[in-house]
This record gives sequence, C-alpha cells and structure tokens, in this order.
Amino acid sequence: MGRRITIDPITRLEGHGKIEIFLDDAGAVENVYFQIPELRGFEKFCEGRPVEELPRIVSRICGV
Amino acid sequence: MENFEPKIIGFLCNWCSYAGADLAGVGRMQYPSNLRVIRVMCSGRVDPTFVFKALSEGADGVLIAGCHPGDCHYTDGNYNTLKRIPLMLKVLEQFGVEKERVRMEWISAAEGSIFAGVVKEFTETVRKLGPYKRNGLERGGKVG
Amino acid sequence: MAKLNLALYWASSCGGCDVAVLDVNEKILDIAAVADIVLWPVAVDGKYADIEAMEPGTIDVCLFNGAVRNSENEHIAMLLREKSKVMVAFGSCAVSGGIPALANFKERDEVLKRVFMETPSTVNPEGVLPLTRCEVPEGTLSLPEFYKYVHCLDQVVEVDYYVPGCPPTPQRIWDVVQAIVSGNLPPRGATVGATEKSLCDECKRIKQNKKVKRFYRVHEIIPDPERCLLEQGLLCMGPVTRGGCGAQCISANMPCRGCYGPLPGVIDQGAKYISSIGSIMDVQSPEEVESLLETIADPAGTFYRFGMSTALLRGANR
Repeated sequence: MGRRITIDPITRLEGHGKIEIFLDDAGAVENVYFQIPELRGFEKFCEGRPVEELPRIVSRICGV
Repeated sequence: MENFEPKIIGFLCNWCSYAGADLAGVGRMQYPSNLRVIRVMCSGRVDPTFVFKALSEGADGVLIAGCHPGDCHYTDGNYNTLKRIPLMLKVLEQFGVEKERVRMEWISAAEGSIFAGVVKEFTETVRKLGPYKRNGLERGGKVG
Repeated sequence: MAKLNLALYWASSCGGCDVAVLDVNEKILDIAAVADIVLWPVAVDGKYADIEAMEPGTIDVCLFNGAVRNSENEHIAMLLREKSKVMVAFGSCAVSGGIPALANFKERDEVLKRVFMETPSTVNPEGVLPLTRCEVPEGTLSLPEFYKYVHCLDQVVEVDYYVPGCPPTPQRIWDVVQAIVSGNLPPRGATVGATEKSLCDECKRIKQNKKVKRFYRVHEIIPDPERCLLEQGLLCMGPVTRGGCGAQCISANMPCRGCYGPLPGVIDQGAKYISSIGSIMDVQSPEEVESLLETIADPAGTFYRFGMSTALLRGANR
C-alpha cells in the first residue's frame, strides 16, 4: 500500500481547493485528485433577480 | 389534514375591529377559537416584523383588521396598512409563502357578524393550506 | 508585548473581504508587526491540520468571513471557534448570509440540478452529482455536504463581534484592528466598524418630504445628485441600514443596498423596509397601490439582498 498526501486547503489563490495525491510503493505518483469543495449556486439564485442587479450580484462570484 | 387546527394570530385595531370582535362576543355569535387576538392601537401599528415573527414562531395564518379607510381614529393610520400589507404579500410570495395566509380586513365596531364571518372563512382557508412549517427548521436552529 | 496570533478565514465567500483587509495598504505592515498570521488562505500558507494541532485559545483573534454553506464551512467555523479567544463575524456573509444566502430563495436540489445538469456549458448526460463520499481505486475521497440552507456564522458558533459590510471599508477595518491591538474592545456581541445610526444620518443629500408616486429602477432615471434618492423614487435602503460605510454608493449616485445590515434593535431589515416604504407611497386606493407596487422589480431580493440568513421567514426551506 502506498502513501497518501492531502493538501488541504490549497492556499494563495481565490477559492477553495483540495488535492489528494496517491503514491505507489516506490514513492512515485500513482494518481492525483483535485477537488473543489465549494459551491454557492449563482447559476440558480440569480434567476428572478432584476437584470440591472446582476452586475452587482455576480461581482461577488470573485472579489479578489 | 382534517384534524389540523390552525393557529391564527389576529392583530385587531382598538377602535374598530376589536370593538367589532367584542360585539360578536356580546351578540353570542359563534366563530372558531383558532384566532388568538392581539389588540393594537391601530392597524398601522402592525409592522411586517410582527407578521413574519408570528409565522416563524408557530402561527399558520395572520389576520390584520382595522377601521374602514376614512374612519381611522388617527386620520390615516389605516392608509399605511393599506399600502404596507400588499407590499408585504408580494414579499411573502417570493419567500414561497401562500399569500392567503395573511389577510387584511376592514371591520367597524358595528360589524360583529362580519367579524365572525371573516374568522370562520379565514380559518377554513388556512386549514386547507395546512401548517406553515414544512420541515420544522427553526431560525438559527439546527444546521442543515 | 507578545505578538498576537491572528487568523483570517473565508467560508462561502468571494474573497472581497480578504482584499478589503489588504486595502488598508501599507498599514498591513503594521498589522504584521504586531500579529503573526497563523491562517489566511488567500495570502499565506497554513493548513487545517496545523490549526487542528493547536491548543484551544491559541489564536487571539479570528476574522471569519463568508457564509456557512456546507459541512466544511461549519467544521472550520467550529474548529476556529475552539482555537480562538475572539471570534469576529467579518463582512455581510458571516454577519447575515450576504449574497450567497440569496440561494435561500431556492430549493437545495434545484440549485444542484441547475449547476450540474442544466447550465448550457455543462455536459452531464448521466446526471452525476457530487457525492460526500466517493470510492476510487486508490481509496476514499470526500467532499463536504451541501446544506439545504445558507447560515450565517452565529447560527453555527458563538460570535463575539460583528463587522458588517460587503465588504467592510478599509478605514473601518483599520479601526477594528486598532481596537483589537489596544484591547479596547466594546462589550461582547457588539457590532463594530459601523455606527448606531442609519445611513440617512450621514448622507449629505437634501431631504424634504418623502412622497413617492412611482418607483424607478436604477437604469430608468438619472437622479439629481443633490436630493434624497428615495424621494426620487429609487429604492434606497438607507433608512433601515447602519451607517459607517461613508455613504460610498450614495456618493456614486446609486441607492444604498443595505450591506451594513439592520439598525440596533431591528431583527428583520427587510420587514422594516416594507414598513418604511409603505408609509412614503403617495397613493390612496388599493388599485393605485397595486399599480405603484408593479414598479418594484424584485421586492424580496432587494430588501433582503444581504440578509437572507437572518430573515424571519426562511424562504424555500421553511
């Protein structure tokens, strides 16, 4: 059984991220999973908002 | 849902509707006991916060009753009600609350039978709608 | 004096609050001189495991921004609460839900369906949705649970201070930092970095009689820059919103959007606004009221733009 390295959270970027690295017995990288644990759902909750409001709502997707 | 007894909060204005309710009582008119009355000095005193708080803390319907337009003891208090409540109903609908749960009525001190009729009808409307709370999540309560 | 341990964290947020902290400009160096930053994902390295290894109370002050949208946000909020002496809800999302909490108008499953199945740029014929646990050949992967409801910070942990704003203004942030460093903090539970009076109190515009015959959307008129915006029919949240932001939106000839939250003693900002709007409408008959209300595009979304988590009505998930 190889090793597992978890990098959580990924820092110095905008947003949330997590990396799972799986190493084999020899210590070489076998597989890597990049995960984004964050969801807010702008796609849905912008529905029903006035159109002139959207530039001011979607600017909160990323404030960096 | 037949056994469901709705809880209804009634905000009645001191000068007309509360007196109307009194008249209904004195006249021994029958109406459902689902209504819990809160006397306010004017229907214009009913802040939407009261209505939202009532619903969020267990009421299934809210009745707001005041003097007929033009009859307000404070000249124009009920005109504020007349403007606020429709706006509040729009907001309620956007929150997914059936607007039939909140009813605004003008009932004078002489209209005891109208009061009894309104309470009867409103209780049945709310009974049909069922309980306000769907999944029982309290404000600031359980996370999920 | 020993250096303070400072943590800044973002939960369900946009990063704007973190950038607002950086907007204190060169004063950030003064912060670094008096405090060690133990966690600040946007700017410095620091892992959850490091925080977990700390003794309770190691962190002097935690500035927590962002709403609590999923189980990871909640877990980190609880973790930071345990390790911090002072927990600050920083920015509108942490204070009252903010923009992400607009999702409380929608059902949880509808949000997931829209995002992962229906958006035009999505190809997902099998309808795969994120799982909290997923078995892969190498082991088990996990993702946080997406909650039904967007919470604000004090709905999941005890909060000591509130700093409202979307984002809080750099000047106010600096005031808060100075209060922390000097130990000159108000009683627990206080809102800091905002005034106790409404925005109207610091708005310089000429205010006369508030009588509105119709409401306008912001693109429909160019308002007089000297006169009260509400009197001109623009839905300005000033009367029900705390001051302290310096009336920035007003200075740009745009109505207040209410991000500094309700005034002291008010439990529901939107309900209060309905009350105040109702009394300035210059109409009498029910028909006139109805047609005047037609000119308000999205009442609930406007009145609760930053406050859905603290709204008395719980939206689609009541």
